[in-house]
Amino acid sequence: MILEYHRPQSLQQALELIARSSPTTVPLGGGTILNRPSSQAFAVVDLQALAAQPGSLLGQLKLSGSSMTIGAAVRLQNLLEWDAFPIFLKNVLKYEGSHNLRQIATLGGTLVAADGHSGFAAAMLALDPILTVQRINQQAQEISYGELLALRQQTMTGLLILSMDIAAQPKFAYQSVSRTPADFPIIGAAVAVWPSGRTRVVLTGYGISPLLAVDGPEASGVDIAAREAYSHAEDEWASAGYRSTMAQTLVLRCLEKISNQTELRIDEIKGI
Amino acid sequence: MEIILDVNQHKLSVDAPPGETLLSLLRRLGYFSVKHGCETGECGACTVLLDGKPVNSCMLLAVQTVGHTIETVENLGEHPDQGWKKVDEHGEALGLHPIQQAFVENGAIQCGYCTPAQILAAKALLDENPSPSEVQVRQALAGVLCRCTGYVKPVQAVLRAAAVMRGEKIDPLEPILAPKDWLDSTFNPITPSMESLQTSDSPLTQAQVFTQKPTARDASQWQQVGKPEKKVDAIKLVQGKPAFAADIELRGMLVAKVLHSPHPHALIRRIDASQARSLPGVAAVLTWQDIPRVVYSTAGQSHPIPGPLDTFSLDRKVRFVGDRVAFVAAESAEIAEQALALIDVEYELLPALFDPTQSMQPGAPCLHDEPEFVNFADSDPTRNLAAHIRIDIGDVEKGFAEADHIFEADYEVPKVQQAHIEPHVVVTYWDEDDRLVIRTSTQVPFHARRILAPVLDLPVKRIRVIKPRIGGGFGGKQEVMIEDVAAHLTIATGRPVIYEYTREEEFIAARSRHPMLIRMKTGVKKDGTITANSMDVLTDTGAYGCHALTVTGNTGHKAMALYVGDGPYRDHPNIRFYADIVYTNHPPAGAYRGYGVPQGFWAVERHMEKIARALHLDPLEFRLKNALRAGELQPFSTAWSEGRAPRPETIQTCGLEDCVRQGKAAIGWDQKFTYPDWHVVRDERDQIIPYLRRGIGVAMVMQGTAIPYLDMGGASIKMNDDGSFNLLVGATDLGTGSDTVLAQMAAEVLGVGLDDVITYSSDTDFTPFDKGAYASSTTYISGAAVVKAAQQVAERIRIRAARMITETTEGHPVYAQDLHLVDGKTIAPDGRYVTLSQVALDALHQQDQEQIMAVASFMSPVSPPPFAAQFAEVTVDIQTGSVVVDHLVMAVDSGVIVNPLTASGQIEGGMTQALGYAVCEEMRYDAHGQPRERSFADYHIFEADEMPELTTLFVETFEPSHPFGVKAAAEIPMDGVAPAVANAVQDACGASVDDNPLLPEKVWRALQKIG
Repeated sequence: MILEYHRPQSLQQALELIARSSPTTVPLGGGTILNRPSSQAFAVVDLQALAAQPGSLLGQLKLSGSSMTIGAAVRLQNLLEWDAFPIFLKNVLKYEGSHNLRQIATLGGTLVAADGHSGFAAAMLALDPILTVQRINQQAQEISYGELLALRQQTMTGLLILSMDIAAQPKFAYQSVSRTPADFPIIGAAVAVWPSGRTRVVLTGYGISPLLAVDGPEASGVDIAAREAYSHAEDEWASAGYRSTMAQTLVLRCLEKISNQTELRIDEIKGI
Repeated sequence: MEIILDVNQHKLSVDAPPGETLLSLLRRLGYFSVKHGCETGECGACTVLLDGKPVNSCMLLAVQTVGHTIETVENLGEHPDQGWKKVDEHGEALGLHPIQQAFVENGAIQCGYCTPAQILAAKALLDENPSPSEVQVRQALAGVLCRCTGYVKPVQAVLRAAAVMRGEKIDPLEPILAPKDWLDSTFNPITPSMESLQTSDSPLTQAQVFTQKPTARDASQWQQVGKPEKKVDAIKLVQGKPAFAADIELRGMLVAKVLHSPHPHALIRRIDASQARSLPGVAAVLTWQDIPRVVYSTAGQSHPIPGPLDTFSLDRKVRFVGDRVAFVAAESAEIAEQALALIDVEYELLPALFDPTQSMQPGAPCLHDEPEFVNFADSDPTRNLAAHIRIDIGDVEKGFAEADHIFEADYEVPKVQQAHIEPHVVVTYWDEDDRLVIRTSTQVPFHARRILAPVLDLPVKRIRVIKPRIGGGFGGKQEVMIEDVAAHLTIATGRPVIYEYTREEEFIAARSRHPMLIRMKTGVKKDGTITANSMDVLTDTGAYGCHALTVTGNTGHKAMALYVGDGPYRDHPNIRFYADIVYTNHPPAGAYRGYGVPQGFWAVERHMEKIARALHLDPLEFRLKNALRAGELQPFSTAWSEGRAPRPETIQTCGLEDCVRQGKAAIGWDQKFTYPDWHVVRDERDQIIPYLRRGIGVAMVMQGTAIPYLDMGGASIKMNDDGSFNLLVGATDLGTGSDTVLAQMAAEVLGVGLDDVITYSSDTDFTPFDKGAYASSTTYISGAAVVKAAQQVAERIRIRAARMITETTEGHPVYAQDLHLVDGKTIAPDGRYVTLSQVALDALHQQDQEQIMAVASFMSPVSPPPFAAQFAEVTVDIQTGSVVVDHLVMAVDSGVIVNPLTASGQIEGGMTQALGYAVCEEMRYDAHGQPRERSFADYHIFEADEMPELTTLFVETFEPSHPFGVKAAAEIPMDGVAPAVANAVQDACGASVDDNPLLPEKVWRALQKIG
């Protein structure tokens, strides 16, 4: 149950509100999770006015050289329609919620609320973006998305995500298995490979959040590591044996796709 | 808090709590076009445009939208005819918006519940992109789930509207006839592409309906029957008018909520509602201690209900997670929810029973030990047996002995949901005569009244059931499932009460398709002649036995009737059908489109495929060799009739061979099935993709048309001063278009246009009895009643007109029997005529005054089966087991098609539901009976942007038992898609999966088995 609604006009106001302990007060992006019926009582701080202010980091969509900055309050559909957003990420994002939900859902809310069936969160975790976050009376600081997911297990009280930066060096591929094309993934694999050889493999389709299976200096053996990482990934949707085998299969497919990419994905990021 | 909203260019100052959703507020303000379908944003029925973008209003707080513009369908077009008013407030000519108009013309509306949302999604797209591709239209509509249409016609409507809005000339809609080469027995093996069938100047803007010309003798003279008329309710539905059960405001209306059991099997030792009752805003809390204990069945069927009476409105015992514990009525939903949390219940947990194979074992927990239990036929609650069927036709053992091969296999089908987008919803209130009015989303208003009367301790005559528009039912509303909740609370409080299921309640507490374990045994000679066929079924009816006997009976009655064998076996088939229908602590199953037949055909058609492959027989020829033909007895008609005495019935029409011929041409069977190269998938560089395989499959099916000697429908027709007619029917249009086809039949007989027949359905006070919308019966049963009533009215018109013409014109006297009713006139053979309005004025005001009207009813002694061939084309990923269905074709003999637009919509929607049954839909429970599926996120139904191509072909025969030759169409599309898809998967990669849906892991495991 939502007790209070606030629409602050300044970042300071927003940070003060979400720092309150009573009532529990949380930032409201689109509301696709928070606005659902709930027996919990809390207050919300709507970020829309802040995102609409000129120069606001929250509402930013910016391509700088080889990296992108995306405001936390940017709607997923706006991201999908942004020319500079890479096609390989659009192909993941287009199945993140329905067409209507993407009109409301924000990047920040999606990253925070992502469960183990989010392909987009898996892709983001693989690309290892940097999030700019802020608390009351503190300077903005940078944390990785992996750190943010870990924070979810502890406390995010008072924390506001302002934006996300994606460096555009890695090659990337995502593969998944689902019941139908638009359904959530039963198993998905996101692989990012940097020019240095650094390889990150993230699995999704199981558990409470995407799982970073590998972050290593090279691609060799990452498929085996992925298989092991999901060796116990059993739930009501699929057996661990299936998920484990598919994790390896999908990672190998991702690596093959990446190896066939002749150019760095920066070309796609530029919308070429 | 006080907020100002900008809705449809109006600034509205309203008081809204901070947590109120935009959906709630808009409906509170009377914007009823915005519909409730779920609480988690998946269905999109609540779509509005926020600053021109489609958003789900259930996911937005009202206060979030302050400073933004909100647009609803109420802001678009209006009915073009509003009397003297010719322009709107902006000076624009009245009329529908082009998108609304296209939805009306294109048959894009079935139940119409999601239509306003689809129209708004389309408007947002076309406002930004006036020339969208089909892919873009599908993406735009993907945020709105539709369970009726299969999205074919909505997509075409948007493309058509786009063309109109661009100023292009668009051809009027006509049925597209099948190419001649499909109709000939020696057809050209080159399959025409879909593109070649579309007109070059309006691609994809015309309904893709292929139809032969009707074979009825006088079909060419028909003016209404056979025409793709617009639905009679389309204009109100595209405007989002308050037509549905929840679209009503009553002063002082309370909101009902139900406390559901968290346990699968328990006794309520103690229940204390005192805290809940003392909560401010709570009007009533009812437990089992507060209401009469009346045993009944929730199955909406004719009297006597062919099943056990095993249900109470509230009981001391709960039998599944989701069963009822208490009812609450409060001033708001929020207060009612709070009250539920305050009800203190002490349960004594009982051993639970989830495995149907254990239900009848000694020592199994007994679900129904209540003394009030009333048996039907062979039910036996001490053994958890809800129903029991033993049917032997011929001598099955002798048939097996005569066979060269015996094939045995086990099959399994899951529990699945109807998933209509409009949830179950009911409003109850006392009227000024202290009669209880029940306004409910039901398929069975008359059954509901009869069943509820004893439960509420009211005589039937003091209950009035009103069925407004229904937002889809598919059998789920052939159940008297929630009406008693609101009615008890109205009796308790004296106030109006609304009770509407949440989507979670739909999944945990509503009905579903019966899951079954099926064993097949078939004897076959070397030449492919079936000598005997046997099916053993174990059905899990869940906690209550609603529809237990009849659903499973239908499994055999239809699916096991299709293949009688060839040669001497045609006259003397050997068929066995045994079934036990048992209780478990799962939620109850019930009626769902197809009513047991899809379960049966899953087993039969998978089994036939395996036999054909094992014996190296052509799967089409093998099936047709053994299939039932016209002139033969429906074998089960000699043995079983839903617990009543069977009466032999001969099949009069069977277009199955033509269905196969046309269907295989449409899908290109001959170019694909036996060609290895076609089964290979190549990329854009023509390189083989090693892990993808293509396959093609078929299933042949039959259904029934109503229940013979039982189903009855009535119709009343009354003539008005202007020569128009009121058609009152008890038949229940759930979105199928039955109001339209009934009106078309009346218009045909009466010689008027469709807009001269004003159809009203249904209201137990005003419309004649009709058993309701189930068993694919409405067009046939209620249609025949309409025709009879119309013929009686026409006869009165002819008699009066003959006198009028004779008296007022020069020439020979004319006789009634020589007159024809056509174009709103009564015409003599020599051309003299009087108009119907002249006849009406004469009858009502001038001479020998009378109200020209008639009431008629119809009951059929036969149930003529429709037949179909259903084809599927798939791509299988042999590394992951993923199955993508690329194309579904259904060639169906449903007799004469009264309206190809609405009928093809039925086929497309049915195929789409069946597609879910094939690949993704199922309901699962954990070891504690807790449901896995609680929302549309878990229970995925197909969206517009992931659909395969759908092709519908009507192979028309003329069924002589109906005045217009019709047979059923509504249920048969459910029957064959799943086995056709599974057979296609087997064709693609050899994976043989015997339990649907074809989930990736299942296919992968089947592939592992064959190496």
